[in-house]
Amino acid sequence: MSRRGVGLGTFANRTQASQSFATHGANLRSTHLASLQTQLSVFQSLLHTFALEHSSTIKSNPTFRAEFARMCNTIGVDPLAASNVKGKNGRRGVGEGGSFWTQIMGGDMNDFYFEVAVRVVELCRDTRDENGGLIGVEECQKRVRKGKAIGSGLEVSEYALLGWKRNCNHQVHTDTFRRDDILRAVKSLEPLGSGFSIVHVGSKKYIRSIPKELNTDQATVLEVIQVLGYVSVSMLKLNLNWEKARAQTVIDDLLADGLVWLDAQGPENEYWSPQNLLDDSG
Amino acid sequence: MSASTAATAAPASSTSFVFPSTYNFPAFFTPQPNSTTRQSQLRKWSSLIQSWCRHHRIYRLSIIEAIDSPLFHNATLRKRLDLAEARTIVDWMAKKEEEGGGGQRAEWIEGPSANSGAKSKNLAWIWWRRPDEWADVLVDWIDATGQRGVVLTVFELVQGEATVSQGRCSVLRFDYVFTQICQANSRGLEFHGMDHDVMMKALNVLVKRGKASVFGNEGEEGVKIF
Repeated sequence: MSRRGVGLGTFANRTQASQSFATHGANLRSTHLASLQTQLSVFQSLLHTFALEHSSTIKSNPTFRAEFARMCNTIGVDPLAASNVKGKNGRRGVGEGGSFWTQIMGGDMNDFYFEVAVRVVELCRDTRDENGGLIGVEECQKRVRKGKAIGSGLEVSEYALLGWKRNCNHQVHTDTFRRDDILRAVKSLEPLGSGFSIVHVGSKKYIRSIPKELNTDQATVLEVIQVLGYVSVSMLKLNLNWEKARAQTVIDDLLADGLVWLDAQGPENEYWSPQNLLDDSG
Repeated sequence: MSASTAATAAPASSTSFVFPSTYNFPAFFTPQPNSTTRQSQLRKWSSLIQSWCRHHRIYRLSIIEAIDSPLFHNATLRKRLDLAEARTIVDWMAKKEEEGGGGQRAEWIEGPSANSGAKSKNLAWIWWRRPDEWADVLVDWIDATGQRGVVLTVFELVQGEATVSQGRCSVLRFDYVFTQICQANSRGLEFHGMDHDVMMKALNVLVKRGKASVFGNEGEEGVKIF
């Protein structure tokens, strides 16, 4: 190739180098690939040993799983992206090229997040009518844990859950799903551009499955509902010193978005959050 | 036996009905102004009414009687469904799914025997199984018990020994549907003690499909399924 220069000569070298790229592209690419592969294999073997050593813990201990996933994130390995490779290689036959996740866990780990993601989507879609596309991460977690999606999904999910439990050799602990897992699953949906996002209201996290912003007033009202269970116009007037019109507008907006339900049987109209509706199969 | 005895019977069940959590949601009892929310509400009401009727083996529901029953009146919350809203829900249930309804899960019974005049919308069939679904259940049972081509009386089907005991299940071919039916109802087959009119409707579905023939006089019909 070219001489290695120092100082200003480097500039010349760099132009030369870029020209060489054009001519010796193929050659360079292969060296590059080779060195990358060495790096990758070293890294993989390390991760492999680690994961092998701790695979059962990863699968059964949610805290450990979260830590492990965080570690992978830090070094720039996305467990979900890695699992994508699995499908392609799976068709070619399981060889060295297969995702190490597949090799180590038999695909359980990827399947774990995919399964969760699928069920989160299912749940959001099925409940969109009742909650306006806003669902608490906690409620979602409860539901996904139960493996109880509304309607058509019910049997399938339950089977899937059973299968999954069997594969992972899980003790059926109630805490096997953690909020982390749900959040990670929702994040994994981002590349799809499906509009799934995490929204913070007060101290709670929600999954928003309809891409629409909440304004500050709306968020405030939802926060009040979180605490008190419901709101009314006079409550907002008293507690937040809002004008009647302002309170009414916010509530009407929330109502129009399907985020609250109206109860007109009290002395004053009350507006309830449908979040508690979730634990029944509707 | 006769239609009237079966109709009025709302047998008490061994276990009490477990309401879904929706039932304890105060806003559930007010018609929702938002149309999307409303659809969800109607679906929930429809499924609640169906499971209530299934649990209590109610085939025809009197709205006026039900309005004060726990079904439509949550005494703990002091919330209730008003008559007009209950009728709207049943209306919705009666509509086909393609028409934005609940998939024909209810059907108004218009008869001179019902309250005359304006209050015609009182009695309704609640189809927690529609006649065509009952027909399928019947055929499954006939298949499982190897009674194709056997002449049975309708009385036998509804009140007979064969349809009452769960023990009978073990003798039979265990196909999936059938086990489900047996497990679903410890008192026997799901159609045991069934409303005579509903049974006739189900049988008529089979007749229309060309899978059964019904003969004999009213009240003592015989049936052959082939």
